[in-house]
Amino acid sequence: MKKQLLIIPLIFFLSILLIFFYLLIIDRNPSELPSALLNKKVPKFETMSLLEEEKFISSKVFGNKIQLVNFFATWCKPCRDEHDYIKRFSNEEGIDVIGVNYKDNEQKVLAWLKELGNPYSNIAIDKNGRIAIDWGVYGIPETFIINSKGIIKYRHVGPITQKIYKKINLIINEIE
Amino acid sequence: MVNKNFLFNKIFASIIICIIQFFPINVYGVDPDEILKNEKQELRARNISENIRCMICQNQSIDESNAPLAKDLRVLIRNQIKEGKNNEEIYKFLTDRYGDFILLKPPLKFNTLALWILPFIFFIIGVFFVFYHNKKSEKF
Repeated sequence: MKKQLLIIPLIFFLSILLIFFYLLIIDRNPSELPSALLNKKVPKFETMSLLEEEKFISSKVFGNKIQLVNFFATWCKPCRDEHDYIKRFSNEEGIDVIGVNYKDNEQKVLAWLKELGNPYSNIAIDKNGRIAIDWGVYGIPETFIINSKGIIKYRHVGPITQKIYKKINLIINEIE
Repeated sequence: MVNKNFLFNKIFASIIICIIQFFPINVYGVDPDEILKNEKQELRARNISENIRCMICQNQSIDESNAPLAKDLRVLIRNQIKEGKNNEEIYKFLTDRYGDFILLKPPLKFNTLALWILPFIFFIIGVFFVFYHNKKSEKF
């Protein structure tokens, strides 16, 4: 009986090893955090629009169709890297993409969009980063999927890659 | 004589450096222009900031971090204190946006129960094994 008890630490140790091994092999990015805003309404905000004369009013922009919201800046290198995918979302998939320009310079953004192409139907200007805080953004680029009722369904932190591009398309098809 | 002095200085400097290692060097991210004039309010802001995780560095509080987002949040907390919001309201404001992860100390909830209780269970298991082992050796 006593000898049998001694096997418990060994089993315990092996099960911990197994858990660690499992966490190691599953496809997981530990620095990526789930959004606290999932399944919640888009935060309300009003700001200047980069492309239009009218003000950018969130309640008017969101809630009519499935949309992507992309937080970006010209000083952010990964934003440039993912820009082709953002363009593919709007050109190939026909998804309405809203940009939120984070702590940037308007002239630089206009030049940047002229150079790389503009996939955004509207761009909200977040001069001091306050809008981003309301969205729980902590590292741009970040991309949100909004459903036709104006509810946040998914958040991706970091640049969009081929894999994420496919994943986002899948999610959009699911919620449709 | 000169050599002796030199040696003494060297030893003295080494001892000082060794002693310094024992004192934690507190590096704060707070910029002078952020600090509130009202000392009580500033102290509250510091206490809250120490409990808030810098989402970019993840293992630092926003009080210690110089990341731009940490600064934004520090200023935001100070503005909310000036507006007369209480601590609970400020914590709620932050967790509503960034989730419980933004708190350096996880709250006691159903899904964090294991985090809080397992260490005690492991401790009890450990104590059990130590006593069990001792009992066995007494026989010899």
